[in-house]
Amino acid sequence: MLHQILSITFKDLKVLSKDHGGMITLFLMPAMFILVMTNALSGSFSGPSDNPAPLLVVNNDTGELAAEAIADLQTVDGLAIEQTWEGQPLTRELAEGLIGDGDRRVAIIFPADFSDRILARAADSDSPAATVTFLADPAAGAQFLGPVQGAVQGYILRVASYAQAPTQIGAAFDNMAAEAEPQFAPVVKQIGQAFVERLNNGGGLAGSVTDSPVVFEIAAPADFQIEKFPDSAQQNVPGYTLFGVFFIAQVLGISILREKQEGTFRRLLIAPVSRAALLIGKLLPYYLVNLIQVALMFAAGVIVFNMSLGNDPLALVVITLAASAASTGLGLLIAAVGRTPEQIGGLSAMLVITLAAVGGVMVPSYVMPPFMQTASKISPHAWALAGYQDVIVRGLGASAILPEAGALLIFAAAFFGVAVWKFKFE
Amino acid sequence: MTNIVEASKLKKHYGDLQAVKGVDFAIRTGEIFGFLGPNGAGKTTTLSMLSTLLTPTSGTATVAGFDLVKQPGEIKKRIGLVPQELALYPTLSARDNLEFFGSIYGLRGKELTARAQWALELVGLADRAKDAIHTYSGGMKRRINIAAGLLHRPEILFLDEPTVGVDPQSRNNIFENVERLNREGLTILYTTHYMEEAERLCDRVAIVDQGRIIALDTPKALIDSLGGGIIHIGLSGKGDAVAESARALPAVKSIRRIDGKMEIEAHRAQEALVSVLEVANRLDANVTSLEILKPNLETVFLHLTGKTLRD
Ligand SMILES: Nc1ncnc2c1ncn2[C@@H]1O[C@H](COP(=O)(O)OP(=O)(O)OP(=O)(O)O)[C@@H](O)[C@H]1O
Ligand SMILES: [Mg+2]
Repeated sequence: MLHQILSITFKDLKVLSKDHGGMITLFLMPAMFILVMTNALSGSFSGPSDNPAPLLVVNNDTGELAAEAIADLQTVDGLAIEQTWEGQPLTRELAEGLIGDGDRRVAIIFPADFSDRILARAADSDSPAATVTFLADPAAGAQFLGPVQGAVQGYILRVASYAQAPTQIGAAFDNMAAEAEPQFAPVVKQIGQAFVERLNNGGGLAGSVTDSPVVFEIAAPADFQIEKFPDSAQQNVPGYTLFGVFFIAQVLGISILREKQEGTFRRLLIAPVSRAALLIGKLLPYYLVNLIQVALMFAAGVIVFNMSLGNDPLALVVITLAASAASTGLGLLIAAVGRTPEQIGGLSAMLVITLAAVGGVMVPSYVMPPFMQTASKISPHAWALAGYQDVIVRGLGASAILPEAGALLIFAAAFFGVAVWKFKFE
Repeated sequence: MTNIVEASKLKKHYGDLQAVKGVDFAIRTGEIFGFLGPNGAGKTTTLSMLSTLLTPTSGTATVAGFDLVKQPGEIKKRIGLVPQELALYPTLSARDNLEFFGSIYGLRGKELTARAQWALELVGLADRAKDAIHTYSGGMKRRINIAAGLLHRPEILFLDEPTVGVDPQSRNNIFENVERLNREGLTILYTTHYMEEAERLCDRVAIVDQGRIIALDTPKALIDSLGGGIIHIGLSGKGDAVAESARALPAVKSIRRIDGKMEIEAHRAQEALVSVLEVANRLDANVTSLEILKPNLETVFLHLTGKTLRD
């Protein structure tokens, strides 16, 4: 049985290798899309260094901390900080005007009491928090705002935490002194004072914190997560790879119907081959082609566009195996319901392209309106793309993409189920 | 001599259409058995049942001693089918096609290569083995189609109209191969609607029409059953009277009226012809056409069905 499966597999790979149309559909087309789209859209998924996003900054702070945060932000590659406009220092009104006119898309405003409130809060956690205002053009897409917002919040939080650290550390030592055995209390207090003094005199706060013998881990609050968005290669390489991967459904469907039409399927049916071996032998080569497609396209992404593959290649393999199961399942389904190769050629192309579009291959789903984002869940492409991007863009591992892989396997099971039910061997 | 195929009351219905209406026949081991019949007679349907592709609606059959329905796996190993339509991968070479089909039957390695080479030489296409099938002529494709059914050394070969659309050269190659394979011990079921093929190749012929076997015997016996021959006479008027008188003549075996013509089955053709013309003269009937049919399977079919094989 294994021998027969491998014979059929090998034969189909040979047939496919001579099928120029199929090879173009499966390899050349996605490669061209990747090449063209990644380059064409490289501006709109602005990579940080080559096209920095302008950011208006209004600093009303009477203290020093806002200036420190701004100095940090100026070191960020992807941001171009603007504190003046045509020679005038920026005010909130000026910034609102610029955004309203569409000259700029986003501004941040530090209030007058920014430093005071942060420092006061270090001593008394009940005192009010400082408020930084984000002004944004509502039309600015999430793929633009997301990274900017993330960077800004991150840097401000860091400055604030470092500024609070000496006071909080001092308070911590005071608490320890209060609870210590009476004879040790003065010593503990003294160590605390010396430590705080060193922190304050050390110049750059960040430097002194890490230089100090004590390491502090400063975590952002739980609800503060920097959501990352894909750049052009991270969107288009996995996207159009999937586009090509799901086109296997068309090639596979046509191949099965052609065998039926040309009578070779009959010849196989009168041979002592089980129907299971026949089907597996017919599916396996296309499954393997899927894996080759992904390997080649991702390799091209890495070599041509310097795309990172994230931290867990195994996770990419898991998604690929699951996505390929769904695509070959779809192919069998198409073969089961189709009548002639010509008919399913057109129908399957339409189906596969529609699923790709709905699934966010052509237009990223995060720029789609909410109802379309929900609708995209009916497309296996959407799940596979989300899985790939979790790994490539967000650096997540195999356990994080299990839901996507699971969804793809459910698609695969549904496709295979209906296909086997509807499939006619004769 | 044992029977390699035995069919009993074999029926196949497609919905309301009765493609095969209950046929009984046996194929003897070692013979070339012909299925001769016009389009739609049910030849392919019968072959499909015998090769386990189709389940009979009713009836039973054994092939090589195994039951069609209960032991299809055993039968599959022992039969070769050359389908009516070409069943090859057009973009692959002849050798790739043959080696693939051989491997499906479990052949591998040196044996597979040797069997493919043997089959290529048998059909005379070893020198074209590397060319893709779609570059072959129609006749060459047919020859490879036959070769593909032989790789696994079947005990019986089902050939379904192997010479359709074939040039004389390929046709001869096919005939010679059928005869040679049969000499070497292969039983062959040969399906055709060319009576010359059935007459030349087959030890016994079943004449099929509309899902039934209407005659089954050696070609010679079938032809001899026509007796001295068949005469068609066209008459203008008085046909009934002439037929009436002619029926009593000693040289005439039987008389039928078909489409205004009179078909005379004779014991002795020439004597019958002379005496029937005398009767017509006496009764003052005008003879408008006259035809003496050659005694062959075509004539047998015409006589049995009133139709020609290629209506
Ligand atoms: N799959 C099918 N579904 C319905 N009817 C069928 C099917 N296959 C064959 N038939 C019908 O069964 C009858 C016998 O067909 P079959 O193919 O067995 O004839 P045949 O003797 O092989 O004819 P030919 O010489 O044209 O090949 C025909 O009337 C045909 O239309
Ligand atoms: Mg037929």
